[in-house]
Amino acid sequence: MCNRCFAACPSQAITVKDGTLVHDFGICSECSAKPCTGACPYDARSITGREISADELIDTITRDIPFYRNSGGGVTFSGGEPFHQPEFLIEMLKRCQAAGIHTAVETCGWASQTDLRQAIPLTSLFLFDLKIINPDNHLRHTGKPVEPILENLSLLASEHPEVIVRFPLVPGITDTWENLNDILGIMKKNGLSRINLEPYHSLGADKYQEHGLDYLLHNLGHYESGNLDSFRDFFISRGVSCDIV
Amino acid sequence: MEHIANREITGKPSCERSAFFKSRYLNAPLMVDIEYISHLTDSHRKTGNLDVLLRRATDHAWALSHLTPVINQKDMLAGNKTRFIRGAIPYANYAAEPFLKEMRKEEQDDQSKHTAQGIGGGIGKAMEEAAASGLRLISGKFLISSEDYESFREICEYWEDKSFMEQGNRLWRKNFKEAEFIDNGWKIGLYTAPHEPCPEGRLILDYETAVGRGYHAIIKEIEAKINSDSPDSEGHVSRLEFWKSSVIALRGAIAFAQNYAAEASRMAAIESDPIRRAELEQMAEICSRVPMEAPRNFQESVQSFWFTYLLGHIEGSHLGYSPGRLDQVLIPYFKNDPAISIGKAVPLLEELFVKMTQIEYIASLSWQGLGHGNLYQNLILGGVDENGNPADNDLSMAILQAQINMQMTQPTLSVWWNDNLSTSFQMKAAECVKTGVGYPAFFNQKTYITHELNTSGLPIETIRRNSAIGGCTEPTLQGMSYGIVQAGFVNHGKMIDLVINKGVDPDTGIRMHPARELKTYQEVRQYYLDIMHAAIRNWQQYWNMVMIAHRQTVPLVFCSVFVNDCIASGKCMDDGGAVLNSSITTLSSGLVNVSNSLAVIKKLCFEDKTCSLSELFYAVQENWNGFELLRKKALEVPHWGNDDDYADDIFLDLFKEYCDWVRGQDNYLGKPYDPSMLAISTPVPFGKVCGAFPDGRLSGEPLADGVTSPFPGTDLCGPTAVIRSSSKVDHTQIRGGLLNLKFHPSALKGETGSANLLALIKTYFEKPGFHVQFNVVDSRMLKDAQEHPENYRDLVVRVAGFSAYWVEMSKALQDQVIWRTEHSI
Repeated sequence: MCNRCFAACPSQAITVKDGTLVHDFGICSECSAKPCTGACPYDARSITGREISADELIDTITRDIPFYRNSGGGVTFSGGEPFHQPEFLIEMLKRCQAAGIHTAVETCGWASQTDLRQAIPLTSLFLFDLKIINPDNHLRHTGKPVEPILENLSLLASEHPEVIVRFPLVPGITDTWENLNDILGIMKKNGLSRINLEPYHSLGADKYQEHGLDYLLHNLGHYESGNLDSFRDFFISRGVSCDIV
Repeated sequence: MEHIANREITGKPSCERSAFFKSRYLNAPLMVDIEYISHLTDSHRKTGNLDVLLRRATDHAWALSHLTPVINQKDMLAGNKTRFIRGAIPYANYAAEPFLKEMRKEEQDDQSKHTAQGIGGGIGKAMEEAAASGLRLISGKFLISSEDYESFREICEYWEDKSFMEQGNRLWRKNFKEAEFIDNGWKIGLYTAPHEPCPEGRLILDYETAVGRGYHAIIKEIEAKINSDSPDSEGHVSRLEFWKSSVIALRGAIAFAQNYAAEASRMAAIESDPIRRAELEQMAEICSRVPMEAPRNFQESVQSFWFTYLLGHIEGSHLGYSPGRLDQVLIPYFKNDPAISIGKAVPLLEELFVKMTQIEYIASLSWQGLGHGNLYQNLILGGVDENGNPADNDLSMAILQAQINMQMTQPTLSVWWNDNLSTSFQMKAAECVKTGVGYPAFFNQKTYITHELNTSGLPIETIRRNSAIGGCTEPTLQGMSYGIVQAGFVNHGKMIDLVINKGVDPDTGIRMHPARELKTYQEVRQYYLDIMHAAIRNWQQYWNMVMIAHRQTVPLVFCSVFVNDCIASGKCMDDGGAVLNSSITTLSSGLVNVSNSLAVIKKLCFEDKTCSLSELFYAVQENWNGFELLRKKALEVPHWGNDDDYADDIFLDLFKEYCDWVRGQDNYLGKPYDPSMLAISTPVPFGKVCGAFPDGRLSGEPLADGVTSPFPGTDLCGPTAVIRSSSKVDHTQIRGGLLNLKFHPSALKGETGSANLLALIKTYFEKPGFHVQFNVVDSRMLKDAQEHPENYRDLVVRVAGFSAYWVEMSKALQDQVIWRTEHSI
């Protein structure tokens, strides 16, 4: 062990415990100089995410315009939650629109109506996450009430022509027939006809650990591809266009 | 444990017969067959009174007419290179030295030390059988009977002072003032091993003429020339010699076909199964007609093509000898055959492709390792016709389907891209890519046409019609170019080694260049360029001398008959009879590592002044041990493949210097050398002989693969950035180019995935790029295949300009493929 990061940290957030380095996220001040990452010769420590200006980002995006033209593709603003940084999002949407680039915004729906209204004329496509419709279950699993999300969905559905529902299939949590029926009902009510199913996988588990977060979904298991067909058929047989992504 | 993503498309042979052929191939050991070389040698002993072309043709024809015709169970196509399923001819007439060294247990050439060969599949089978029986193992992976081994020793001893290699050595070692530089270049790994054991190839014959006119008509034409050529005109005698040799070679070829006809008749007569008997009778009839006369239907055209292809292959020790635009050559027979359809053509093509894969070659250990046993038989589909209209057709579809079904390593398929190719063909090509087999590779025809317009000045219609790929990634004009015969590869990485170590190779202590004081970035760059200049110039001059020996010992006569305008001009290819003689290229690999290293030197030592040049070089000499933080800073300097002009401009500068320098010297046919860059397996052995580099690469690690592929792990901005960097290169300056991209199967799933892949290719070629190819495979599958090879006998992956069976690749090359950055789109 070289201990370079240990020595570099001004807040002493890094300690040695049982021969391994432990990072205390409570003590770490997330200082801007980030001396601990620079000190590690093997890039074992890195900061997730980086600051980028709208100018830099639009430069990166526009370099791929020839690819978008040939593939029919464009830019997807995702997250996290893009409406968590509404000013930046709106600015980027404006610039993309000016450059003629197709844009998609993937949102969990937890956004202010003012921000949403601003984004609507600037966005080519909305990908709207619906997880659980039952208010109690939604609050329990996401920590937020479902009602404002459903209101936002109605707003988008009435004012924007391209909205696709994205539905994470989580074993035992979102994939109940009751919830599927609820989702279908909300879609019908809002006149929405396209849904993407996102089957749960555990590829993010390591990420939680790296960020000092508890991963609460251990031992959920995987879907077999055969099982997924029954979910897709549920929607397709009810007149909803459905893809597994 | 994450589960391994499967390849989306998994083809299977179209019929039971094709499945049988594939399984027979996969279970066969690698054999050496000395029959051809024995007969050739017998004849050569008696033909000392003949001039070289006549002697060559006479010996070859004698051997052809004495080869045992072997028709194996269920075969519909007749003709094999050897008597074995997987067999190689040991061309002692080209180079006896490597075999004799092995037999005498002497040390092999310097490169062989760095050569790694695979140990699985048919190679493993050969080793097992050698251990279990009285057979002997030769050249690391081939079986030979003890009796043949002894005969072959005598054959090699006969050729020891007569072979092409020996004659070449006599010429250049005696006459070349830089002979020591070449020898030292081999010792330090600046160059690949001597190329004489397998010098030829990258050659595509004029199959349209061979199949369409038939040998009888061609012989008549040549005889008319012999009779009418005026004895008063200059060159009359040498023309007569070539024409007479041509007729002898063609007659030998006809005897070869007729022996197959007789054998098929003989077997039919004793065959008890009426269905098989009818098949053999049909084979006998076909073989007594083609290649002498024009085919009457599609099946005859395939047989006729195969005979000519095979006969040319037998004459020379080829690597990269290619079928070319087979979908164009055979389409008239397909169209005019009312009984044929795509479905009926596919089984015949499947058999043809198994037969191509069954051809093996045996050479020096180092070349076997470099080529990884691959023959680089390139079949290119689509493209444009002479008027510029898209040329993909039903046969293009059938050929793609046959390889989707079979996934044989030969021929490697390519697509001449243009945007107007039919959607169904484009989607079929994407489907083939998604089998994971690594082909088709995509080539931009427009780029090559521009190159050829600029260098050859031939009419655009001629260039459009005949442009094809000879070998892995080198474009050429089929049926009218001297097969690109070059000396082998130059290692740019070793040049960086020499810059770092003041002109001395650190491993051997051999001084290649005077030391030089380096005070500025420009001086570092110039030092590299001067080293590069000497390395290239000496290599080209050395090879020009060697190729004089080629004319004196093993000129290609049969192949020359089918290269325009040899017959018309009365000159074989070695005398400049081909229309295009500027096709000889100089090959090199590893430029990406040079450019990344210079970027680091420029930034850290001369701009940021993070460290001095001598500190950086010291850290590199220490393989970065104790300088980990400096290595981290080196890796943070922009590297090639991220669309960052800082790094990319350096690459473009070096690329231009290289191309201009190569062109500055004439080849052995009196035309300028044409710059090329390829890779084959060189990044692995070339990297093995190099110390660490300033770009962060560690000692012994492989160099960057391909030509414009980024160094693994340094392309951080995704595939579109790789493509944007690569497209800055002016590919019209160069004959060749190679960009590898590796995708996870999930990235290309479904029709949308295929469409995205095609959009990526289209965009790259608009820019315009020249070549791109794909590995579509989960790296976890490759790791699993390393641990459990028994489950992956038929797994094929893309290496460089070729695909290979995973289990027959060396561990080092397997690691290199796994190591490449895996993208998603």
